[in-house]
Amino acid sequence: MSENRENEQLERRLRAALRAVDPGAGFAPRVMARIVVEPAPSVRPARAGAAAGWLTLGLAASVVLAVLLAHEWQVRRLEQGREARRQLIEALRVTDDKLNLAYRAVNAREGAALPEHSGA
Amino acid sequence: MSGDQECTGGDLLTQALAGEPAAFTALVRQHQRAVYSLALRMLSDHHAAEDLAQEVFLQLHRNLCAVSSAAHLAFWLRKVTMHRAIDRLRRAPRLESAAPEEVAAAVSETQPADPLLERRLRTLVRELPPAARAVVLLRYQEDLDPVEIARTLRMPLNTVKSHLRRSLAQLRERLNETADALT
Repeated sequence: MSENRENEQLERRLRAALRAVDPGAGFAPRVMARIVVEPAPSVRPARAGAAAGWLTLGLAASVVLAVLLAHEWQVRRLEQGREARRQLIEALRVTDDKLNLAYRAVNAREGAALPEHSGA
Repeated sequence: MSGDQECTGGDLLTQALAGEPAAFTALVRQHQRAVYSLALRMLSDHHAAEDLAQEVFLQLHRNLCAVSSAAHLAFWLRKVTMHRAIDRLRRAPRLESAAPEEVAAAVSETQPADPLLERRLRTLVRELPPAARAVVLLRYQEDLDPVEIARTLRMPLNTVKSHLRRSLAQLRERLNETADALT
């Protein structure tokens, strides 16, 4: 049997198997009973829904803001750390220069003083 | 739905909108088969289906002013039923494995040509994933075309077509397996 014919047969069988069934004569009265019992729709649920919507929106905005602030704080901390490191390196470099200068000065003085001592 | 029914449905809708309970009851009677059957085949449980179908009509009662015509009413009922059913299955997936419904056969007015085959087909449809099952039900129970199914389920048309193609292939394969096992 070709695939098309098989499909057509299956579709026919599906239509037969899935034909609508009735929930019974008591269904409509049961629905109407629930309608009578339920309070009439008021504006309040819609307002409550809107309020819940705004609350969700507010919460979502707060979370986004908190994440942004935390990120900003972290970036600043990193920048401060980098600046402190840079300053420390600069201070070490200056100290190194000064020590070199002092060392050279001491060496120069000792060089100048040596002949007098050796002649004595 | 025939033109006569639509006309009657339109009149009933107008009367129901005017607040006549008898007109709303008639609307419920007119659509209860479709709504209940969709719910039953989606949830595979008579009590859950009855409850869902009642809730759909309660929602209709609250939102009747949003329905503009008899055709719109049928579309609205199918849409709400399917979305509520899929929602329930998402929240309570155990309904998926509920015992096979044989209420359908019991309440059915016409005698099936091949009861065993039809029961097997219903079981196989019940085993499809919810979205694919919804597409198959709207196609073969409600006789909607793929465009109408896409609108009802708010699903891309290509997804509907692919669900139909894959579901038919799967059903055919599983039916053949059953036939092979029996021979």
